[in-house]
Amino acid sequence: MDTYDKQILDIIQSHFPLVSRPYDEVGRQVGLSGDEVLARVHALKKSGVIRRMGANFNSNTLGWQSTLCAASVPEDRLDAFVAEVNKHDGVTHNYLRENEFNVWFALIAPDMDAVEAILASITEATGIKVLNLPASRLFKIKVDFKMDK
Amino acid sequence: MAIRFTQTEERILALAGTDLPDTEQPFLSIAEQAGVDEQTVIDLLADLKKRKIIRRFGATLRHQKAGYGHNAMVAWRVSPERADEVGEIFAARPEISHCYIRRTYPEWTYNVYTMIHGERPGQTDEVVAELEKITGIDDHCTLKSLKELKKTSMVYFK
Repeated sequence: MDTYDKQILDIIQSHFPLVSRPYDEVGRQVGLSGDEVLARVHALKKSGVIRRMGANFNSNTLGWQSTLCAASVPEDRLDAFVAEVNKHDGVTHNYLRENEFNVWFALIAPDMDAVEAILASITEATGIKVLNLPASRLFKIKVDFKMDK
Repeated sequence: MAIRFTQTEERILALAGTDLPDTEQPFLSIAEQAGVDEQTVIDLLADLKKRKIIRRFGATLRHQKAGYGHNAMVAWRVSPERADEVGEIFAARPEISHCYIRRTYPEWTYNVYTMIHGERPGQTDEVVAELEKITGIDDHCTLKSLKELKKTSMVYFK
């Protein structure tokens, strides 16, 4: 990744131009042709640096409920529990963590009733209690990272 | 209450919420698939971005590959009276991407959560040590990630 790639990534993470020919606009900002920018974006996608390009919706302003969930799962029941959790489309992230509460997943659903129904179904299927940890205050969500330092 | 969209808007948002084609006019291909003109797509996306319904429009990176591989989720136990003040201090740090107060349970009493990102090993521990000194909060728990079990983007529109 060179300086051009990093400058391009900084622009297209948060300020992707919402215009007919966005890569021409990015090219004007970094001093490359639109074709060159597009070729670089294509390469960054292919190499896996860019996971996806598109809209990231805000669950709160959309009116959906998001939460973080934690469970303490014995080793021998881990695979079955994870399979049960991950089958839900609303589970976007799930990590095994080093703690007595070893499974931590993020869940999004249209409202809190739907969240609670999903968690109840997971507990019913697995016999494992899930802590529902919705945020009562959000201080910060920053999902872009400065690349060209 | 979830916001309602027209069927055409939902179709546009379903396409814009997956992965833009690497083409010169990516919004044109969305428009063609949704049966509208290009400007309608651009206007809808710009309006939703302005209303913060689209939090961010653009590239999502794989952080490990982009040089931010040393991450730590740290949960802190902060007295309810101090939680707002301490949360503001945490959120002001550039290394912290996410900061929340969350519900507690008798068996899980940590209430303030931070996601800390470092560019080199040990950097997240240094941030935690500095924040301990600044806030006087030394009761915290690093929830070290051992394995990624699932990571996807939420599909709100199908």
